Amino acid sequence: MRLIPALLFLAISLPSSGSDAVVNMNGAELMEAVYQRHKQFPYVYEEQSMILIDQRGNKNTRKLRRYSRVSKDGGADFLLLFDSPLDVRGVALIAHRDKAGVARQSFYLPAYGSTFLESHADHDGQSEDHFLGTDFSIENLIGEMLDHHRHLRRDDEVINETEFYVIDTFESGDESLVPLRRHYVRKDHLFVTRTDHFDELGRLKKRQTHHDLVNVHGEMWRANMMMMDNFQQAHRTVIKIDRRVFSADYVPEDVFTRKWILSNQAPLSDEDDSEAYLAEAGDEL
Amino acid sequence: MIEALFTFGLNHRRLVALLVILITLPLGYGVTKLEIDTSFNSLIPADEPEKLAYQSAMDEFGSDNKTIIYVRDKNLWTARKLARLDHIVRELKDLDHVYRVDSLFNLRIIKGTPGEDGQPVISTELVIDDLPTDDISAADAQLRAQANPLYVGNLFSEDGYVTAIIVTVNDVNDQEDFSLEVYRQFEQLLEKERDHFERIFQVGPPRINAELQESLASDFTVLGPLSAIVLVASILFFMRSVLAAIIPLVTSVLAILWTFGLMGWLGIPLNILSAMIPSLIIVIGSTEDTHMMAAFFRGLAEQNTNEGRPTTAQRHQAIKYMAKHTGLPMLLTVLTTFLGFAANLFGDIVLIQHFAFASTTAILFNGIVTVLVVPPLLAKFGRKIGEGKSAEELYGNNLPDQIISTFRISQDRFPLVVLSLTGLLCAFFTYQASNLYVTNDPLSYFPEDRELIQETKTIHEDLAGIKVFFVTLEADNTNAFLQTSNLQKLNKIQAFIRKQNVFDTTLSIVDHLKYVNKEFQGDFAADTLPQSRQLVAQYLMFFHRSELESYVSHDYRQANIIVRHNISDSHTLNQYVDELKDFVSHISGDGIRARVVGENLLVNQAAESLMVSQIQALALLLTLIFVLMSIMFTSLKGGAIAMIPSVIPIVLMFGIMGLVGIPLNPGTAMVAVIAVGIAIDGTIHLLAHYNELCRTTSDYEGAVHKAVQEVATPLIVSSLALSLGFGILLFSNFTVVAQFGALAAATMLISIFANLLITPIIMTRIRLVGLYQIIAMKVDQKVLEESPLFTDMSNYERRKAILISEIHEFSAGEKLVRQGDIGRNMYMILSGSAKVERRDGEAVRELAKLRPGQVFGEVGYIRAIERTADVVASTPVTALNFEYHRMQKDLKFFPNIVAKLNFNISGILGERLADVLDSK
Repeated sequence: MRLIPALLFLAISLPSSGSDAVVNMNGAELMEAVYQRHKQFPYVYEEQSMILIDQRGNKNTRKLRRYSRVSKDGGADFLLLFDSPLDVRGVALIAHRDKAGVARQSFYLPAYGSTFLESHADHDGQSEDHFLGTDFSIENLIGEMLDHHRHLRRDDEVINETEFYVIDTFESGDESLVPLRRHYVRKDHLFVTRTDHFDELGRLKKRQTHHDLVNVHGEMWRANMMMMDNFQQAHRTVIKIDRRVFSADYVPEDVFTRKWILSNQAPLSDEDDSEAYLAEAGDEL
Repeated sequence: MIEALFTFGLNHRRLVALLVILITLPLGYGVTKLEIDTSFNSLIPADEPEKLAYQSAMDEFGSDNKTIIYVRDKNLWTARKLARLDHIVRELKDLDHVYRVDSLFNLRIIKGTPGEDGQPVISTELVIDDLPTDDISAADAQLRAQANPLYVGNLFSEDGYVTAIIVTVNDVNDQEDFSLEVYRQFEQLLEKERDHFERIFQVGPPRINAELQESLASDFTVLGPLSAIVLVASILFFMRSVLAAIIPLVTSVLAILWTFGLMGWLGIPLNILSAMIPSLIIVIGSTEDTHMMAAFFRGLAEQNTNEGRPTTAQRHQAIKYMAKHTGLPMLLTVLTTFLGFAANLFGDIVLIQHFAFASTTAILFNGIVTVLVVPPLLAKFGRKIGEGKSAEELYGNNLPDQIISTFRISQDRFPLVVLSLTGLLCAFFTYQASNLYVTNDPLSYFPEDRELIQETKTIHEDLAGIKVFFVTLEADNTNAFLQTSNLQKLNKIQAFIRKQNVFDTTLSIVDHLKYVNKEFQGDFAADTLPQSRQLVAQYLMFFHRSELESYVSHDYRQANIIVRHNISDSHTLNQYVDELKDFVSHISGDGIRARVVGENLLVNQAAESLMVSQIQALALLLTLIFVLMSIMFTSLKGGAIAMIPSVIPIVLMFGIMGLVGIPLNPGTAMVAVIAVGIAIDGTIHLLAHYNELCRTTSDYEGAVHKAVQEVATPLIVSSLALSLGFGILLFSNFTVVAQFGALAAATMLISIFANLLITPIIMTRIRLVGLYQIIAMKVDQKVLEESPLFTDMSNYERRKAILISEIHEFSAGEKLVRQGDIGRNMYMILSGSAKVERRDGEAVRELAKLRPGQVFGEVGYIRAIERTADVVASTPVTALNFEYHRMQKDLKFFPNIVAKLNFNISGILGERLADVLDSK
């Protein structure tokens, strides 16, 4: 099983992106090449700013930490931990994907009590489009299973003087002509910098773009800013990576346990008169 | 001056024709620029302070331009029907201008179910993700949909037979025919689906606007021609003259063309009220023409008593006669009608302001066209009318005669009974007027049986009303509406609204939180809010911003409750909204500003200002007319009496409205001022005639009867034509216009009764002198100044004294006073000369010569004794006749002047006595 994580890529050595081998690849091979080059790193710790922007340009900013760790059995654990705003501090989303690609996730809401709430995506087991009020889906977070999809290469395109390979992704076994997504892979380093998401009628629903690309190791690149434009809801979510560390020390195994999450909670503030709230309100004003 | 004005067109035919062409061409082109306005904005006062608050709420919580597509089918939740619905939603999304489609296909539920460890498992899912392939999965989807209390009543009916698709349209109001286009696109799409569902239709601003536009266009094209037909028919019936029927049409068409052209150039749009202007101008404008033509025919008839064609000179003379007899009254009636329509300019509602501008301009243009065009037309074609007909024959129909003879019996035999009964009638209708209520709801503009209204009711019954308003709360601090104390305030407001039991549904962030709380905590937490601010914030993470943006601002500083209802009566709505405002203001407390806003509310609140502005306009107009009439007849009593025929119809009209339940709305609110402006026309003609007749007789009752006789035909003809013309408006597609027409027609009929029955009774008790007569009087100033009768009187008083006397003309050799006769009158010579002769058998002795300014017969005036000499005109003589009994009557009408005259007569008599004594 292989993934194309939308938020995190790692790479291993691959044929050079401009070589004939790549040029003549079909869709699936090209996606495989992308995966191989930017393969997920086993231990990643990130500090992120998540900015939610509505159609009138109003912004809400959340600070969070993201932990991801690939286990030896091929599964992967993810943890998102919110630090601000103060009202949602400590909110956690834990997700585990086993090697077969089956995902489970649960929430922890500090204000609800010490209970972890198991979460199901929906009655079909699909990930829904709005994860915690963002324009990303949980699928975007934990990655897309390459084997679960069919990939069809389209004509290459040049956008703003940059050359792209274009690959349409369909649900596996779905013979529809309408793709789920269209990936734009930069020819120079095989990094997916744009993904268009379509609805069942083939209309552009969302557009995910990656910016501020940095070469983190060898031919492996990462984006320090990801943006999802939701055209149907006229809403945008921007995730900015403030800090990224590839280190097992930052992502110990127990970080994904309920015990760790509970023991790393800040005490609840008083509702109305907390100076911290006032300071936060002042910042927003 | 008036004669010059009315003969201007006659004397400068080419210039007038050129002028008419030069004005008509550019203004005719302006008609092509005329725009149509059916927006709700025109129903709201332009300077309405709440408008800003409404706009601000719209900016924050989203547009309210939403169309509801209602779908009913008892098999709605089956795979086949859901597939059709899905097809409709997809096609709707594909349409231009469609911004968002909310339906059961993008509804999401948050569901808590007990897990293995007893803790809830939370799932968030779409009601329908993939289309159900069988009826079992469709039924599952129904269960999921109905599990969310936020949707039941808003998007689904409880029985599951009805669902709504809510389509939000991009706001591109500046695009011409936008609403019509959107409505047609929706309709085209729904038409294909009608076979697939038991019922499917749309209701929303595009349809309402489209129907308003279509109805307006239909009114515009149908009502004008219908009015023209009615006018021609009624004039033909009463006046038996084709030309008399055609002339008002010519003047009206020109006035309408000029008006709409000017509106086109000025960017003033046509609205549902101004669409009736062609009818109004055809009908109202014709009254002036009718009066003018009646006077022209009279002028012809008086010259042309023998059979034969009138000569050009005779026709010109008839036009001068017309100018003299109807010129000033006509100008005054144009002015009062103009004022009647102009009074509406002071209203706050843009719809009425635009109508007021259009109608006022049209009346003015009609007056100008009439004065310029009618005299040359009559001079050209007039001969065919008067030919071979007596004055009586000219007015051929005897209906007016029958009416006035019936009225005369009442006037002569039971005047007090008539006045008392009228007083009682007015008192009864004044009481009924207290039941009057006001409404400005756009949907009430359509008749109750219209499909749109019926379908609106269906949505209200199966889901909730389509009318929406917002209760917004705004705090000083961000995150205020994460605090449970503030959420409780919202909760209490919603509870209060439910308790009011008049609004259909309310929805706010509180409902969303209660829903999530129940799913997380279980049924025991149903209808309860989260206990802490943090839990509120954390629950809200499960919603996308687009799901909350209608209920809370991004910074949680403002919150919004959406209220849906179906109340059409502005008064009731305003009453409950005021009650709600009080409660909201009380509950919101310090630091939170609360508002109850909505376009629907603004429109309905405008109803109150409609009432106030119309009362102000009416008061202003009545005051203006009172002042105008008082000046015109140089008497406050005259002013007051002139008001009576105007006030009675208004009182009766408001009473009828209260009695039969016709509301005060933008249409009916204008009837009063317009009716006053028109009804006063008949009164002016009546009083002017009476005044003129009083100059030649001391029999005031006879003068009243004659004035009524002369004015009755044009007055009845024009009033009936007006009634029929206004009655045409009953064919309008708009209830407001139809009600306007019905009431205006009734008011015109009542004004016949008031003008011809009530006014004459009061007129016999007054004596008026026209200011214009005083000013226009041609007398030798020196004669007046030197006459002992006018000693110590101002020039104004002298002229008025002349006018309250009778004026007699004598030819040379005619006897003014006959020796031996007993007469209680005296004369003053205005012009010419006379001699005093005493007959003694066959011998005649000249005693004195009399010149202008001198008075004679004063002894007979004081005491009924035989005249001692003849007074014979040496040259043609014009003399004022002061009759004792008449002067005694006039003493109460003009006490100052008659007292001065009496004093001067005493002085003259004293002088005579002194002369006699001296001679002895």
